[in-house]
Amino acid sequence: MATTYSDEEIKGVKRGDALGRWIGRHPIAALVIAVVVIFALWLVLAPWPAGFENIFGKKWLFVNALFNGITLGGLYFLVASGFTLIFGLMRYVNLAHGSLYLFGGYMGYEATQWTGSWLFSFVVAFACCAVVGVAMQVLIFRRMEGEDLRQTMVTLGLSIIFSDLMVWVWGGDAIQIDTPDQLLGPMPTPIIVSVKSSGEVVFLQYARVRLVIFAAAVLIGVGMWLALHRTRIGVMIRAGVDDRDMLSVLGYRVQLLFVVVFAFGAGLAGMAGIVGGTFQSISLGEDSNFLLASLVVVIVGGLGSIPGAALGALIIGLSEQFGVVYFQNYSTVLAFVIMVIVLAIRPQGLLGRG
Amino acid sequence: MALLQTTDTSALGAQGLQGNGALSRWASQHAAILILGLLLVILPAAAGEFILVQVVGWSLILGMIALSLMFLAGYGGMVSLAQMTVAGVAGYMIAVFGTSSLPAISLFWPWWVAAPIAIAIAVAFGTLAGALSARTEGIYTIMITLALASAFFYLTLQNWPIFNGFNGFTTIPAPHFLGVNWKAPVPLYYMILFFAALSYAAVVYISRTPFGLALQGVRDNPRRMEAIGYNVTAHRIAAYAFAALIAAIGGILLVWQNNQISPFSVGVNVVINILIIAVIGGLSHPIGPFIGAIIYVILRTFALDSLVAVGLDGRRFQTLIGLGFLVIVLFSPDGVIGLWRRWSARALSSRSSNNR
Amino acid sequence: MVSTRAVVAQQQQPVSSIAERMAAAGTGNAIELRGVSRFFGALAALTDITLSVRPGERRAVLGSNGAGKTTLLNCVTGDFPPTSGSVRFFGEDVTTLPPHERIRRGLRRTYQISLLFQRLTVRENVYLACRGVSRGRFSFIRTSARDSIMQSVSDLISLVHLESVADRLVGELAHGQQRQLEIALALAGAPRFILFDEPAAGLSPNERGDLVAILTALPAHIGYIIIEHDMDVALRVVESVTMMHNGRIFKEGAPHEIEADQEVQQLYLGGGNA
Repeated sequence: MATTYSDEEIKGVKRGDALGRWIGRHPIAALVIAVVVIFALWLVLAPWPAGFENIFGKKWLFVNALFNGITLGGLYFLVASGFTLIFGLMRYVNLAHGSLYLFGGYMGYEATQWTGSWLFSFVVAFACCAVVGVAMQVLIFRRMEGEDLRQTMVTLGLSIIFSDLMVWVWGGDAIQIDTPDQLLGPMPTPIIVSVKSSGEVVFLQYARVRLVIFAAAVLIGVGMWLALHRTRIGVMIRAGVDDRDMLSVLGYRVQLLFVVVFAFGAGLAGMAGIVGGTFQSISLGEDSNFLLASLVVVIVGGLGSIPGAALGALIIGLSEQFGVVYFQNYSTVLAFVIMVIVLAIRPQGLLGRG
Repeated sequence: MALLQTTDTSALGAQGLQGNGALSRWASQHAAILILGLLLVILPAAAGEFILVQVVGWSLILGMIALSLMFLAGYGGMVSLAQMTVAGVAGYMIAVFGTSSLPAISLFWPWWVAAPIAIAIAVAFGTLAGALSARTEGIYTIMITLALASAFFYLTLQNWPIFNGFNGFTTIPAPHFLGVNWKAPVPLYYMILFFAALSYAAVVYISRTPFGLALQGVRDNPRRMEAIGYNVTAHRIAAYAFAALIAAIGGILLVWQNNQISPFSVGVNVVINILIIAVIGGLSHPIGPFIGAIIYVILRTFALDSLVAVGLDGRRFQTLIGLGFLVIVLFSPDGVIGLWRRWSARALSSRSSNNR
Repeated sequence: MVSTRAVVAQQQQPVSSIAERMAAAGTGNAIELRGVSRFFGALAALTDITLSVRPGERRAVLGSNGAGKTTLLNCVTGDFPPTSGSVRFFGEDVTTLPPHERIRRGLRRTYQISLLFQRLTVRENVYLACRGVSRGRFSFIRTSARDSIMQSVSDLISLVHLESVADRLVGELAHGQQRQLEIALALAGAPRFILFDEPAAGLSPNERGDLVAILTALPAHIGYIIIEHDMDVALRVVESVTMMHNGRIFKEGAPHEIEADQEVQQLYLGGGNA
């Protein structure tokens, strides 16, 4: 006799609440994370008692490193987000991404020399790098659809050539882009550094330009997230990230989408070059450094994820700056150690797809 | 054209299984390799120290390290940029455990203790790199191994107690044993040739063993391999370990040939050059990396003169290499070997059509 | 002509001693799923599946597209773990075991779209399958022609009538021949239970007849689950049927009962099918 199931049992698809279920399944981890967050907030917002400072050093050092790390994270996010976007949609590991960063920086420098405008240099850098990006996509990658490895090799060859040509034109010296006058100097923040014996509270003064750039990076990040989740192009990009073949089968103008995304990612890297040139400096070898930084950020945060790039950039920026202050000789290595730990525990990255 | 073509197996066809078969038949099939081997063996009679050690010797060493990359990429489908790093680990370790110009750090243990230790540490590192990348897909592997390679670079640059930072180590001589001073050009050359030939033969042989065949299966269809009983991750890690062995030996030879090691021996540029060498030569046969290496070394040695002769700045060597690499990837992704195959196929078919 | 029984009996023994002990003990069900659910994000592909198959039983799992059949198969083979519930294979809890461990305990599977090694020959494909469930996977010693495993390889190739193309590359085979090779791979070693994922897909009527012949000729101790769209083929080679719908089990019973059932007819056959 065949067994039958009732209609109620067959009907419907059960929807689950993901976060609620996660907390339910990992109550201890959730508690630990909550405690850590509260402790971190106290560290930052409250003045440190004297005994604490004797052990861990001055709060001023800590808070400075914190701000340096966060703003550096903003710079890393600008570079890495383009990289992760390009990989997420088109599966290219664009090893010429560092070259784009450097090229943007150099072109931006030339623009400031020529026009004296810092803001305009961003436009120039974006445009130049976007053009290079379009050329790369149209002339080279479109002819090698689906051959991921080969495309990566091509970017490698291009990066070697670009790097050498840039040394030829601009030489090996470090170039610094001047901060525009309106942004020069420190800015007061509401973070308490210490309390003087007179009772007067000392607040942190931090470089205005770094805060402004960080704010801009956040705006760009939020803008990208909104574009991805609220516009039609964004939906196409996210669908393409999930299933590229499906997207072309559905008849969307996939090639045009690829060109737009590549140009945007390249332009973003170029603008980041100006930021780096202002924060630090640009010179030969920086293309390698920032390519590697992008790699580490994206491995930690998760390939193809913009929030992942933000999280990874923050972690790496903080680790580098705290490393410089507290672990002198091993600041860079600390970032790589974090990367190795993430790889061992969660190979797809912290916010990467499973 | 695929970048990672079918590698030469025919492991279970009638000939492969019978192993040796007729010696003369084997010899005629491998005539080119045999002639090359012969030339290499008698080379010291004709060539001076520079050509012997700096050109051919260096090519053989780079070829070995690139061979370890080719093994992983061609047979395993995993492009690992960490092979030069593995070689660098071995090179540093033999300086630390053996002889160098820094008594403050080096332990001055005899070579027959220092070398095995250095190889063991390097293989452990290579296996660790494999363990970290084995669960990821192909392109991700490039990223991870590149990041690991640069991590090691920064470590050697910033660490002074063990790696002596920026300066590195000098005066790391090849040892005396069996009454021979292996540091002298001709013995050094033969030692390098021996290990290069050994690693070449090992790779060719292994590719037709159950392990090698399983590795190629893992390359082509990892999901299916799991479903017929293979532990894909374990196979990949084992492949990394074997490749690390070859790279480690190459690293020690490099240090003995070069007499020094520094962070810039394991920098990102050098690491990427190994990939370029392997790709230019061709990833589908173990002779490829050696072909790529000799091309690279010849270009590197004579680039300055040839560039100036064409009226270009002699310092633009990197652009030249980059262009050559790009041309190969765009037009002959299976490298020089691919060009050779297509050319000889065309020559054979035109000869046969001429004979009609 | 080589008999299936003889070939399969000659296969090398399973590596895992656990498997041997279980076979000796002859306990309970071959496959047992309890409360298995599988979510992809918020989508419930499988909901609370409880299923038992006895050793040697031949079962069909039927249902329309999206019913969850392939997801169910993947949970049993271990391609991905269930979100909740347990999977037992011959009494042993394998819920968290990776696929290759389950294969070494005697489970086998074929794929709906042939997953073969296109750039290797037929013989090399079968060799890999035989080697995968025997010792020497990591061997650094070349296999000689006289090794017993090569005899197993030849026998399997004969079993599925592919002797004429044994040394051709798989990429050069016709579709039907590739499907035959899929089955040969599943028969390698000493299988105790096989999962066939739409084995009749893309086969001509003649080839379907061959498929039915091979399936019915399998030794009695090898049970299988066959997932199919094509009711004709499926119902001829099984003794019991499980019907799925929307990720749940909808009906179970003997083939003739299912065929005659009203609800099944409404859902899948669009009306009368007397």
